Amino acid sequence: MQKTDVGVGAGLIGFSAWVYWYAGTYRAATIYFYGPNFFPQSLAFLMAVSAGILIYQGAKGRNLEPCETIHLRGFVRMLTAIGMCIAYLVLMQFVGFAISTCVFLYALMSFLGKKGVIAKVFPAVLTSLIVWAIFRYFLIIPLPTGEFSFTF
Amino acid sequence: MEFDLLFKAFATVMLEPKNFFLIFAGVTSGIIVGALPGLTATMGCALLIPFTFGLPPVQGLLMLIGIFCGGIYGGSISAILIRTPGTPSAAATLLEGYPLSQKGQAGKAIGMATVASFVGGTTGALIMSFLSPQIARIGLEFGPPEFTALAFFGLGMIITISGRSLLKGIISGIFGLMLTIIGFDPLSGVPRFTFGSEDLLGGITFIPALIGLFGYAQVFRNIEKMQILPHVRSKVEKVLPKIAEVLGSLKTMIKSALIGAFIGSIPGTGCDVAAFIAYGECKRSSKNPQSFGTGVLEGVAAPEAANNAACGGAMIPMLTLGVPGDAVTAVLLGALTIHGMQPGPLLLRDHPEVVYPIFAGMIMAQAVLLVVGLSGARVFARLINIDRKVLTPVIFFLCVVGSYAMQFSFWDVGLSLIIGVIAYFMEYYDYPVSPILLALILGPMAEQNLRRSLIISRGDPSIFITRPISAAFIVLAIVVIISSYYRLKKTQARMAEMTQECDLPSKPE
Repeated sequence: MQKTDVGVGAGLIGFSAWVYWYAGTYRAATIYFYGPNFFPQSLAFLMAVSAGILIYQGAKGRNLEPCETIHLRGFVRMLTAIGMCIAYLVLMQFVGFAISTCVFLYALMSFLGKKGVIAKVFPAVLTSLIVWAIFRYFLIIPLPTGEFSFTF
Repeated sequence: MEFDLLFKAFATVMLEPKNFFLIFAGVTSGIIVGALPGLTATMGCALLIPFTFGLPPVQGLLMLIGIFCGGIYGGSISAILIRTPGTPSAAATLLEGYPLSQKGQAGKAIGMATVASFVGGTTGALIMSFLSPQIARIGLEFGPPEFTALAFFGLGMIITISGRSLLKGIISGIFGLMLTIIGFDPLSGVPRFTFGSEDLLGGITFIPALIGLFGYAQVFRNIEKMQILPHVRSKVEKVLPKIAEVLGSLKTMIKSALIGAFIGSIPGTGCDVAAFIAYGECKRSSKNPQSFGTGVLEGVAAPEAANNAACGGAMIPMLTLGVPGDAVTAVLLGALTIHGMQPGPLLLRDHPEVVYPIFAGMIMAQAVLLVVGLSGARVFARLINIDRKVLTPVIFFLCVVGSYAMQFSFWDVGLSLIIGVIAYFMEYYDYPVSPILLALILGPMAEQNLRRSLIISRGDPSIFITRPISAAFIVLAIVVIISSYYRLKKTQARMAEMTQECDLPSKPE
């Protein structure tokens, strides 16, 4: 945690310096003294000060021990799930909301270790149909229909 | 206040079955909409306005009020069960509600939230009915310095919700404020930090950010820990909280309701600000503030009472001044205009036959909310016993749908995912995400009014202390910040002592 705090603090100082500099480019865009640069630069200053204190505390060893640590295999599983979500969003553009949602839910349940075809198909189909019906008939919010408009 | 008109309005609302049914339908659909992450009470009201065209004004407004009250309450259900607030106003509820559900007390948490919403909503509705003109007069005095001081007071609450590390809470809060500077500058219209992207011109949309911070982050943790954490089966015990528990929290509920009604009556603040301020005050004034965050019933009661009371508060400036108190009342204002009525000081005089049924309908909606909420709570609480391998993908999907539904934009979904990943890492390194949420809510208000105040005073900061209301908020904020800081330090010192005592070897006899 000590090294992390020092590293994060250093990163935040760099980030604040960049925000301060970039916000300064807005100064010329307006006649107001308290223009669009004022608040971002104020925040950048406050962040830099806070990050400096964080580095100091980290260097002195005055930091709290973490309550939990990241489980590596679980982390990889999480990244894979995010990848599946991105694939779902791409697929939705082609086959529409309902079909892509059924596929996504079935795939994710399988990936997480759920056993039984019926136990996966039933909630996947039910969830996507219910949400589709709520959006289509109750809220009248358009959902992507994809390239095949006959797929809802 | 015309009591005979109010009693007549009550008779109209209660004795005409159609009016009663519309309130019931409004509250029930509001609860459902509010419980689904990403579908807010604002959206529910906005989308249902066309359905009210064919109804007389009173009936249309009664249904919309039902959706408003039900939606604000409904957000607490998903906040408690799946750590994803259905509406922004329930973000403070999850701080205690979710830990309670992890302990198997989801039903009790929902029951307390329901009772608190009823108490708060009724208090807010009564205040709206009896004090509308007086409260609106105070709100008229608010100028930019007062709004700035209010934002400062609200941001000071970051201290009370910072968790283990005060400094990291402040860093999270500043990070949240930095997110609010993306998009058009509110005063000059200059696009800031958009890097040429049209999607960023509107800034970081609040609902996708909320879903990212609390929805996606939790889903990612669930997926990561799925194989190693045992499945906790929620005990769906009695939903009705014990009388002693309700009476024990009654003082908190009423105090929070008064805070909520007052905050809600200030234009532009809304139920979410009221909820956080009430939660912060509850924690600060508690005898055991260190227990907050572990599942304290009062910590559920306070924000729920406040956010429902703020519904009544938000109606005050809308009805009496024609200025909406929050986004939902802006929609209701549109509904009144569509029905041929102009909200403002003359509304009460010219259309009492509409205004008094609104008062009565608001009070009735709380009773309906209590019955529907308590009777349906076990059904909602059972959701938590569903297999996590099924529930987690469904929640993941609802987060995608919720972040998409706001602006029908995949950009929002992507943004939400990125914020979720950031929040996931933040929690592991003790950076709390609640201050980010508070900063997202208060940041725009703080910036706009701070700059306006300094422009008005030509750079003289004494404008904030020479105006009495502003000075009062600043003094209050400083008192709260200092007392909370010392209390936090005292608690940390006590815990360090306890840890040392446990480590000392026992003396031989």
